Amino acid sequence: MKGLRDPELAIGVGAALIGAGLAAGATQISSEAGYSGVGPNFLPWVVGAMLALCGVLLVREALTGGYREREEPSGAATGHWAGFAWVSAGVLVNAALITTIGFILSCSLCFVLAVRGFKSAEGRLDLRPRAWLVDAAVGFAIAAPVYWMFTQLLAINLPGLTASGWL
Amino acid sequence: MIDLWHQLLQGFLTAGTPANLLWALLGCTLGTAVGVLPGIGPATAVAMLLPITSKVDPTASMIFFAGIYYGAMYGGSTTSILLNTPGESGSMVTAMEGNKMAKNGRAGAALATAAIGSFVAGTIATVLVTLFAPLVAAFAIKLGPPEYFMLMVLAFTTVSAVLGKSTLRGMAALAVGLAMGLIGIDQISGQARYTGGVPELMDGIEVVLIAVGLFAVGEALYMVLYEGKTVETQNPMSKVHMTPAEWKRSWPAWLRATAIGFPFGTIPAGGSEIPTFLSYAAEKKLSKHKHEFGTTGAIEGVAGPEAANNAAITATLIPLLTLGIPTSNTTAILLGAFQNYGIQPGPQLFDSNAALVWALIASLYIGNVMLLILNLPLVGMWVKLLKIPKPYLYAGILIFATVGVYGMRQSAFDLVLLYAIGLLGVVMRRFDFPTAPVVVGMILGPLAEAQMRNALSIGEGRWTVFLQRPGSLALLIVIVAVLVMPHFLRMRRPKT
Repeated sequence: MKGLRDPELAIGVGAALIGAGLAAGATQISSEAGYSGVGPNFLPWVVGAMLALCGVLLVREALTGGYREREEPSGAATGHWAGFAWVSAGVLVNAALITTIGFILSCSLCFVLAVRGFKSAEGRLDLRPRAWLVDAAVGFAIAAPVYWMFTQLLAINLPGLTASGWL
Repeated sequence: MIDLWHQLLQGFLTAGTPANLLWALLGCTLGTAVGVLPGIGPATAVAMLLPITSKVDPTASMIFFAGIYYGAMYGGSTTSILLNTPGESGSMVTAMEGNKMAKNGRAGAALATAAIGSFVAGTIATVLVTLFAPLVAAFAIKLGPPEYFMLMVLAFTTVSAVLGKSTLRGMAALAVGLAMGLIGIDQISGQARYTGGVPELMDGIEVVLIAVGLFAVGEALYMVLYEGKTVETQNPMSKVHMTPAEWKRSWPAWLRATAIGFPFGTIPAGGSEIPTFLSYAAEKKLSKHKHEFGTTGAIEGVAGPEAANNAAITATLIPLLTLGIPTSNTTAILLGAFQNYGIQPGPQLFDSNAALVWALIASLYIGNVMLLILNLPLVGMWVKLLKIPKPYLYAGILIFATVGVYGMRQSAFDLVLLYAIGLLGVVMRRFDFPTAPVVVGMILGPLAEAQMRNALSIGEGRWTVFLQRPGSLALLIVIVAVLVMPHFLRMRRPKT
């Protein structure tokens, strides 16, 4: 017997709650129907109900022997959360800094942090300054040409540290 | 017929300009690379490159995207034959026999039959698209909103309920996709829905964000969480060459597979998993070398599924171009690309954007030839890509994800959302939820809603409008049949 910590159960409950939330949100949307008989709030109701129903049915499956015909997930049985934290930090730091320090530097930083995570997942986390520098250089070598291709060749705006379009 | 020929010729003239040929080559090359590399597929690659739609003209970028779509199918087979982990879901079946062949020193023959089979099937399928797409468009122009709505519901049903193992998980994924599609301004009434006062949400969520989040960021997070210790082994390469006996065994398999794959691509049931499995089963049944299946590796088991895959992939362009209905992740994103140009694929497309459509179709012929060359003599080059260390590969994918998402709307808020969608992707993958319904539901949902409300306007608010028109009634019956049949068959069959 798996208790409340069963993730399958949690997903079902989550889906049901989001469905209920959608339905609650639908009450705030106008039902002004015009000629068609259904207004902009109709589909939100349907989707909310559908998701809530799916959530309830998922909960039932979770409680009665688990999800049906679920394929065994690939990889390890438990997550490597330290590596996950590194990669998450990379992505979120990138989101926080991209407009201030520019695309190239921000993405290089994201790259370095993410590489730490992936390497630690492989069991060879390397925190020596040399490894940081090498990875930063690799990240820069990927991010810079991408940036130049977008800003110089395609004239698509990406944030830079300077207004020159090169960094 | 003369007319068709003339239009195709015009298409070749447009697709054959040096600039467009270069776009096609670039797309095919990039597509092959994307197919070879694990962790990134055609849907992600096209999504990441969607920002170019703001600067590049529609014909060039559609040729480019089609090249990526195609190229990934060719490249995917290389990975699934040489590595013991399949790249694309469509090449999972190829991996079964391909791996066995490669282990027995016949990697070269497997690669050759995969590439040539893809070429044969892709070319035949393109001929069929050339012939049938205008016919379907001419027919589809007679359809009204009720029929369109029913067609879209059929697409939803097949993508979410029929293709996956669990109807329930497919439906849950579809509901999530539809909910994402609701966010933003309602097209008909101009009402804001589910924006929570966040200005960034007023324009809705970009499909790029969802696709890149689910596939690229989700894949990277899944990788770091669960697959760091997974060791991949690479099979030895051998000379890319087929003996006359192998040719003789491959030909019938390619042709049979094309016949199986093409119809599956055209109906709104998308995905290439079913036709590849069917082709594999057919080859196994018909083969004179049954003992090779699952032991030393049978060449038919590679030739068939690969060809079926390409035929189905090509055929998905028919519902996309003539009805505006995407039936796979990648075609959903291609639809997004059309929408970025303010073009709505559908029956009118063949009139209003004839030059674009025919250039796109012509570029498929050209792309197939390019890919054959890129994948046969140059296969050694692609194999080297498999040597890129995993940490650099996945961290690099995160950089490209940033470009795609940030380049679309210049919003750092989207990058946070990207991470959240990535987390959703990890959960979905871990608990075996299909992802295609999310992407298809999100992009097709708003279109289906508009058709539904238009249909109800025609019916003056009465739902019976869907029953009174023979077309929509027939489609409704098909939908019910598609939903009920599998359960019915399961009940009839005694439990084993």
